[in-house]
Amino acid sequence: MSSNSFSYNEQSGGGEATELGQEATSTISPSGAFGLFSSDLKKNEDLKQMLESNKDSAKLDAMKRIVGMIAKGKNASELFPAVVKNVASKNIEIKKLVYVYLVRYAEEQQDLALLSISTFQRALKDPNQLIRASALRVLSSIRVPIIVPIMMLAIKEASADLSPYVRKNAAHAIQKLYSLDPEQKEMLIEVIEKLLKDKSTLVAGSVVMAFEEVCPDRIDLIHKNYRKLCNLLVDVEEWGQVVIIHMLTRYARTQFVSPWKEGDELEDNEKNFYESDDDQKEKTDKRKKPYTMDPDHRLLIRNTKPLLQSRNAAVVMAVAQLYWHISPKSEAGIISKSLVRLLRSNREVQYIVLQNIATMSIQRKGMFEPYLKSFYVRSTDPTMIKTLKLEILTNLANEANISTLLREFQTYVKSQDKQFAAATIQTIGRCATNILEVTDTCLNGLVCLLSNRDEIVVAESVVVIKKLLQMQPVQHGEIIKHMAKLLDSITVPVARASILWLIGENCERVPKIAPDVLRKMAKSFTSEDDLVKLQILNLGAKLYLTNSKQTKLLTQYLLNLGKYDQNYDIRDRTRFIRQLIVPNEKSGALSKYAKKIFLAQKPAPLLESPFKDRDHFQLGTLSHTLNIKATGYLELSNWPEVAPDPSVRNVEVIELAKEWTPAGKAKQENSAKKFYSESEEEEDSSDSSSDS
Amino acid sequence: MISQFFILSSKGDPLIYKDFRGDSGGRDVAELFYRKLTGLPGDESPVVMHHDGRHFIHIRHSGLYLVVTTSENISPFSLLELLSRLATLLGDYCGSLGEGTISRNVALVYELLDEVLDYGYVQTTSTEMLRNFIQTEAVVSKPFSLFDLSSVGLFGAETQQNKVAPSSAASRPVLSSRSDQSQKNEVFLDVVERLSVLIASNGSLLKVDVQGEIRLKSFLPSGSEMRIGLTEEFCVGKSELRGYGPGIRVDEVSFHSSVNLDEFESHRILRLQPPQGELTVMRYQLSDDLPSPLPFRLFPSVQWDRGSGRLQVYLKLRCDLPSKSQALNVRLHLPLPRGVVSLSQELSSPEQKAELAEGALRWDLPRVQGGSQLSGLFQMDVPGPPGPPSHGLSTSAPPLGLGPASLSFELPRHTCSGLQVRFLRLAFRPCGNANPHKWVRHLSHSDAYVIRI
Repeated sequence: MSSNSFSYNEQSGGGEATELGQEATSTISPSGAFGLFSSDLKKNEDLKQMLESNKDSAKLDAMKRIVGMIAKGKNASELFPAVVKNVASKNIEIKKLVYVYLVRYAEEQQDLALLSISTFQRALKDPNQLIRASALRVLSSIRVPIIVPIMMLAIKEASADLSPYVRKNAAHAIQKLYSLDPEQKEMLIEVIEKLLKDKSTLVAGSVVMAFEEVCPDRIDLIHKNYRKLCNLLVDVEEWGQVVIIHMLTRYARTQFVSPWKEGDELEDNEKNFYESDDDQKEKTDKRKKPYTMDPDHRLLIRNTKPLLQSRNAAVVMAVAQLYWHISPKSEAGIISKSLVRLLRSNREVQYIVLQNIATMSIQRKGMFEPYLKSFYVRSTDPTMIKTLKLEILTNLANEANISTLLREFQTYVKSQDKQFAAATIQTIGRCATNILEVTDTCLNGLVCLLSNRDEIVVAESVVVIKKLLQMQPVQHGEIIKHMAKLLDSITVPVARASILWLIGENCERVPKIAPDVLRKMAKSFTSEDDLVKLQILNLGAKLYLTNSKQTKLLTQYLLNLGKYDQNYDIRDRTRFIRQLIVPNEKSGALSKYAKKIFLAQKPAPLLESPFKDRDHFQLGTLSHTLNIKATGYLELSNWPEVAPDPSVRNVEVIELAKEWTPAGKAKQENSAKKFYSESEEEEDSSDSSSDS
Repeated sequence: MISQFFILSSKGDPLIYKDFRGDSGGRDVAELFYRKLTGLPGDESPVVMHHDGRHFIHIRHSGLYLVVTTSENISPFSLLELLSRLATLLGDYCGSLGEGTISRNVALVYELLDEVLDYGYVQTTSTEMLRNFIQTEAVVSKPFSLFDLSSVGLFGAETQQNKVAPSSAASRPVLSSRSDQSQKNEVFLDVVERLSVLIASNGSLLKVDVQGEIRLKSFLPSGSEMRIGLTEEFCVGKSELRGYGPGIRVDEVSFHSSVNLDEFESHRILRLQPPQGELTVMRYQLSDDLPSPLPFRLFPSVQWDRGSGRLQVYLKLRCDLPSKSQALNVRLHLPLPRGVVSLSQELSSPEQKAELAEGALRWDLPRVQGGSQLSGLFQMDVPGPPGPPSHGLSTSAPPLGLGPASLSFELPRHTCSGLQVRFLRLAFRPCGNANPHKWVRHLSHSDAYVIRI
C-alpha cells in the first residue's frame, strides 16, 4: 500500500523475515541466541531463571519472549508459577506484560491464578488512578468463577471512584462479569443505573455499551438520563458515540410518535428549521397541526447533526441511520452529502456505504439524486463496488436523468471487465422496464449491442431483450427477425435458448421465419446443449399447433430424436409433448386445449432490485450487510400510536432549566475543559509512576 | 464486541492472535479465515464473511491481513474504522507496518491491543491518549546495508550525502520517549503516485490511470502548524485551467480533514496542524490524459517456428523519461507458452539479467537512464506435440500463452502528473532545539503496467 513500506520491503523486508523465522524468539535478546540449539524444555528452564533473577532487564527480556511465544501459539502455560510472582513487580513495563500473560492463561490455571488476586486487591486501592484502572481491568478479565464476589465488590467500589477513568473501566468490567456469571445480572443492573447518571463523557460511552449487552430491554433506565446523554453526545469519544446513537435510535422509536405522517406543508419552513430553538418552537406552535414533535425528539435530532462531520466513518453512518429511522422525512436529506463523502475512503468502507445507500435509494430516490455523478463507476473499482454502484444508478434513474445515464452505461458496456459489462446490460434492461419513456430507446440500444464482437455481451443482451419483449406484447417483428439471424453465429446456450423461446412465443407474428429456424435447429439438434434442446422441442410443439402443414414432419422428426436422447429431462419432455399435441385414440381431453396451454399469455418477469428485502434491518448494522439476522440483533420497534408519558424524562426542574438555556454550549465547553485537565492529571501521574 | 483479533501475514501465518471473550473456537479460526479467503477467486474477497455464526471482517494493509471476528450484531463501520485505525496505530508505534516489524514488536503490539480493546470493546484509538499508557519500547530494525554506510563520512564527519535521507528514515516509531531529542524534530513528506497503464498490441494507449497521494509523517509535537506549497499551475477538474502553461491537471482531489484550504484557491497552499504520526494529506487521481509521455515504451517482435518449436522474442525497451531522471528496479515479466525449457539471451548491457521463472521470462534491469534504449533477444525452445508442418520458416502469429508483458519499476524524483511540492514551511519553532529537518520525496511507481503482445 504505502510506498514507504514498499521500497522498504524491497530493500530489506525479505531477508529480515527469513532471519526471524529461523531465530524465532531469540531476536529480542542477544542472550537468547543459545536457545536456538536447545530443546523447548531447556529453553523454558532458562526463561524461568531469567524470571527469578534480580535484574529487571532480565525479567523484561524473559517476558517479551514469553509474549512472543503466546503470539506464535506455543504453549507457555508451564511458566505460570514463575510469571505470576512478578505480578507485584514495581516495573510497570514488566507488570503490563505479566498482565497480558495472566489474562491469557488464568482460565487454564485457576488455582495458581488465585495467587495473584491479593496483588490486584492491593492495587485497587493504589493512589495512582492508572494502576487502579488496570488492576480492575485485569482482575475482571481473569475468568475464574471463584473470584466472582471479589469482582463484584471491586466493580461496585470502582463505580464510585473519583477518577472517571477508573469508572470507565468499571463500566467495561460489567459485561465481563456478566458473561462469567449471568446470575449477577440484578446487581450489575444497579451498577449500570448508577453509572448512567454519571456526568463524565469518558464514562457515558462505556456504560451504554454495558447497558446494551446486559439489559438492552430495560429502557426505563434511560428515561432520566436521556437529555443528559443527548447533550453530552458531542463530547463523548467516537466509539462511545456510535453505541449511544444506536441505543438512542431504538429508544426514540419506542418513546415518540411517528413524525412521518406530516404532509408537504412542512417543507416550506424547513429552511428556517435549524436556525434556533426559539424559532423552531414558535414554528411548531404556529403550525397548529395535530402532530407536534416532542421537544426531546427534536433535541436528539439536533444534537446529532454536528456529528455528521466526524472523521470516524462509523459515527457518520450511525448518525445517518438515526436520521433515516427517526427524523421527519423532509430532514433526512442532509445525510446524503455525508454518506457520499464517505465514498472517498478505502474500498472496504465504500463497499458498506454503497450497500446502505442502495437500500435507502430504493425507498427515497430523491435523497441521492443530486449526487448521481458520485456513483459513476471508475475503471479502478473492484467488481463488487462496480455492481453496487450500478445498482444505485438503477434505483436513481428517472425520466429526467435517464438519457445521461444511458450514455454513461454505453461506456460501461465497452469495459474490459466482462462480468461488469454483462451486469450493465442487465441494468439497462431494468431501467427500460422502470421508465416507460425509454423502453424503445433501450431496446434499440440493446439490439445494436447484438452486433458486438464479444460473445458474453451479445448473450446477455439477448437474454435481456427477451425479457423486455415479453413485457411488451407490442409487435417487434423486426427485432425477432434480427435475432433469428443471430442464431447462426451465437454459441452461448442461454442466449440460443432465449431466442428460440422468443420465436416460439411469437411464431404467429413471424410465420415465414419460424419454420425455417426449426428446420435449421432440427439439423443441429444432436449437438446442442440440453437447455437449447428443450427449447427446440418447445418451438416444435408450438409450430405444430399453429402451422402444422409446414412443420408436422419436422416436429415428428425432432420428437423421435428426443425420444432417444441421453438426458432424461429431454426424453420426459418429448413424451409429454407427443401425448399432448399428436392426436391419437388414447389422447385425453387435454389435447383439445394444447394450443391454449402452450401459447397462453405468460406473465412477464419482474426485474427487481436484490436490495428490496433488506430494508427491514436497521441500517448500518452487520445484519443489514449480511442480510441475515445476526445474534443479538435488536429489532427497531414501530412507532407507538400514542406517545408514552414524556414526563418520565424530566429530571429536576433546576437542572432541566440549565440544560435548556442557550448557554448549553458554554456548558459543553466547560465539560470539555474539565475532561482535558483530567487527562493531564493522568499524564502526570503516569510519568510519576514510570519514574518510580 | 469483538471476539478475536488477529494479524495474518500474506502467506496466512498468524503473527498476532488475541482472543477477547473466550467464546470462540481458538486459533483454528485464523486458519479457517485464510482458507475461506484463498478459496475465493481473484482478489475480490468480500469485506464481511460469514461462517457458522461468526463474522469475519478484514482489511488488507501493507500485505498483512488485519482481521476481527464477532458473533454479534454491530456496526460494520465501527469494525472497519477500528481496523484502519489499528493499522495506523501500529504504524505509528512500530515505525512501519510490515511482517518484520510486527514480529519484532510482539510485546508492544499486545500491550497496545490491551489498551485499545477491553473485552472486545474499543476504549480509545488516539495515538496521543495511548502514549500515556504504553510502556514497551519499539524495536527498530537497523538493516545493514552499504547504502547506509555511504551516508557516514570519514571519521564521522558530515558529508554532502547527509542531505539525502535513506528511504527507510521515515519508518521508525513516532513515539520513542527515550530516544535522543535531536532526532525528533523531523518531518517527512512523500508525494507518491501509482501508475496503471494498459497498452494494446498495436502500441496504442488503452488506459492510463494515476493515483497519487501526499503523505506526511510528522515527528514534531502535535499541533505545530505547517504550510505545504504545491505547484502553482495545479488545477482540478477538466474545465479549470491556470496560468498560460499546460498546467498540471488532476481529475479529483480529496483532503484530510485537518487541512485548511483557505489559501488553496489563491496560492495552492495547504495549511495544516497535523497530529504526531502519519497521515495522508491529500489524495488525487488522474486518468486518460497524462501531461508527460509514458515512462516506457516496449517494442516487441516475435518469431515463432511451429515446426521446430523455436520461439524468438526480441524486446526493445525505450525509456522516455527526461535524460536526467532514471528508473530503478525495472522488471519485465513475460508469461511464456507452457513447457518452455531453454533460454538463450543476448542483452544490450552486462548489468541486466534475464531468467526463466515459473513459466515466464523475467528480465531485470536495475537501472535505466532516461532517454536510453535497451534491448534483449531471447530464444527459447517450446517442446510439445510437433505441430503441422511449418508453412514457412517462421510465422509472426505468436503461440498460445505468450504475453501480455507487464513492467514494474520505480521512478524516484519523478511524478507522472507533474505535481511537485514547492515548499514545506513550519510556523512553529521548537524552543531550544535546532531547526527541524524537513524531508521531501517524490516518487512514482508502477501499479499495473501492461503491454499486450
